Amino acid sequence: MSFLVIGAVVVLVAIRVWLRRRRTPRTVAPSPLWLGPFTGDVAMISAREIRERLRGRVLRVGTLIILGVIAAAIVIPVLDKSTSTPEHVGVVGPVTALQAELIRSSSTEVGTDFTLLHVASVGAARAKLRAGQLDFAIVDGRQLMVLAAISPTDSSTNAQLVEALAKNLGIARAIVDAGISPAQASAVLTAKSLPVLALERGSPTKSPVHSVSIFGLVIVFVMLTQYNTWILMGVMDEKSSRVVEVLLAAVRPMQLLAGKVLGIGLVAFAQATLILAFALLLGDAVGSSFLHGTGSATLAATLLWLVLGYAFYCWVYAAAGSTVERQDQVQSLAFPLSLPIIFGYIMAITTVSTGSASGLFKVLAYVPPTAPFAMPVLVGFGEVTWWEFAGSALISIGCTVVVARVASTIYRRAILRTGRRVQLRELFSASSR
Amino acid sequence: MPGLLELQGLDRSFGTIHALQDLTFAVPTGKVVGFLGPNGAGKTTAMRAIFGLVDLDAGAVRWNGDPVDQATRRRFGYMPEERGLYPGMLVGEQVEYLGRLHGMTAVAAMTAATTWLERLGIADRSRSKLEALSHGNQQRVQLAGALVHGPEMLILDEPLAGLDPPGIDAIGAVLRDEARSGTCVLFSSHQLDQVEDLCEEVVIIDHGHLVTAGSVDELATSGSSRLVVRVDEDRDGVWARDLPGATVSEVVGGEVRLVLGEAGDPQLVLRAAMRAGTVSEFVVERRRLSEVFREALA
Repeated sequence: MSFLVIGAVVVLVAIRVWLRRRRTPRTVAPSPLWLGPFTGDVAMISAREIRERLRGRVLRVGTLIILGVIAAAIVIPVLDKSTSTPEHVGVVGPVTALQAELIRSSSTEVGTDFTLLHVASVGAARAKLRAGQLDFAIVDGRQLMVLAAISPTDSSTNAQLVEALAKNLGIARAIVDAGISPAQASAVLTAKSLPVLALERGSPTKSPVHSVSIFGLVIVFVMLTQYNTWILMGVMDEKSSRVVEVLLAAVRPMQLLAGKVLGIGLVAFAQATLILAFALLLGDAVGSSFLHGTGSATLAATLLWLVLGYAFYCWVYAAAGSTVERQDQVQSLAFPLSLPIIFGYIMAITTVSTGSASGLFKVLAYVPPTAPFAMPVLVGFGEVTWWEFAGSALISIGCTVVVARVASTIYRRAILRTGRRVQLRELFSASSR
Repeated sequence: MPGLLELQGLDRSFGTIHALQDLTFAVPTGKVVGFLGPNGAGKTTAMRAIFGLVDLDAGAVRWNGDPVDQATRRRFGYMPEERGLYPGMLVGEQVEYLGRLHGMTAVAAMTAATTWLERLGIADRSRSKLEALSHGNQQRVQLAGALVHGPEMLILDEPLAGLDPPGIDAIGAVLRDEARSGTCVLFSSHQLDQVEDLCEEVVIIDHGHLVTAGSVDELATSGSSRLVVRVDEDRDGVWARDLPGATVSEVVGGEVRLVLGEAGDPQLVLRAAMRAGTVSEFVVERRRLSEVFREALA
């Protein structure tokens, strides 16, 4: 709890400092343009891109919102669990030691505390249920009484506890009715599981559903769509503001394009790293189970494929951005461009939830547009060797080189054509060189 | 280093439109050269071709006899017809950035940016975003961006479009100063008469090919001479009838306009006028550039 208070204070102080700096009048004297250690053309273009992005409100506010959402997703379940009120369980009639033990074990299983309240009669139990003084009641160890019927889809703590207790108390009763003494019944119901002897050392990632983090897939999906939209908008902005003609008088189209995607890429991965580190540290600090199941191999594969996926798609989006110069044209382009990303994401999420990879899904792990989603899942399943992984990465890198060259040609031919959206067939006709 | 820009036989077609047709001319150093022609004549395509922004079907662009490559282009300054800089970037940083893209060091770019912004009268807007400036001031920032690296060749596409007279004077002064300091200056305009006073040489094109080229004085005084004469005692211009080698084109308000033929002599006309009465006006008229253009097309 103290961690949260400290975190909230730090965020508030940071916001106040930022607002104060914004109110401070700027000096008129020019300051040296910060380009850091960058000296080459591509590096200089990247440095400008990085600086302008960091100055922009969109990145700062967007990052704060994402961090806020992640913090809420991690902290709220923990707070909810720690502040949940104990279940008030009414008991009519005597409670045997076995029943008491089963109530304890069931509440532990559900993850809640309970308070036993002895009630004189069934009528009194009904009255207390109606008055809201009890969550449910156990009548003579034979029946559970609730106020409203519990639906099969109810996942509340109360419903889970009632369901667990009904099952466990029923088994206990059957065992007792079979003539086994209460002590023997208690020994049976609280028996430990048998040890399992493994002849060979198993893979730590054998349990697919738990070892593949859906969180990683969500991050790759959100980041790829967000960062590539930055590229699309950035190229479109340079075209619509006409600054691109001034720039191309000094540098080659490929240099301008490479500087832009590199600059945006570095900002993007700084943001992604910040978000992941924040999620991991916060999850660890508050003891959240949010990121449990993310193996280190899966995490590394996810990050690597985030880089490879960005490298592949950024050229496609940059080329597309050079064909448009208005917001409405961008919107009409963004959806078809994102279809392969959406397809890969849905296939990966479906595969993780079913727990097994189909033949088609394994093929998708070698296709550059869908590999950023499919390959980390196969890594999580333990269904890919290192050389298969490397092969997929090499295919992606090779295709990225080809896509970059084609994108550069499209960019060079389209970027100075203004007035309307440029069609691809116009760019590759003989008169359009 | 002073130089000579040569455009040799440039050809470029867009489908059925011939934007450039065997266009050849040269831009000498030390003079302000106007690149003139009506809208759609091919001026922008030719200027883009100098910077490699348009692929040519044929022809070559040379600087001091060598083909223009990327390294050479970095020593050129360019102000395109469709103005554009980053709207949200600070003015000073923007000019400095353009200087660095043209190969300047950080310190040199910063110093030059400050100098040019001061010279163009917008130093106090150095820390403003470009989008906060008026159209005229944005135009000045654009010019500073083209000049910041001390280019050997300055190419400006319609630099006077949309400017008020003081703006035109300010940019005109900068172009003349740059030309005097040894820079090759080529600027385009479709308003021929507006830039007549600014140009020292002109290249006039239409439909992608050269119409005529030469010094403004040469072109304005070539062809038939025109005289405007006023004789106070003869407001109807009777004295000018039947003058050898001269034809009266019009008589308005006492002013007699005469077009001299090849055998015409202004001195002869002056003597005839003085014989008729008191000569209160005697002007040898220069041709306007628009007239030169129309006559060349005819």
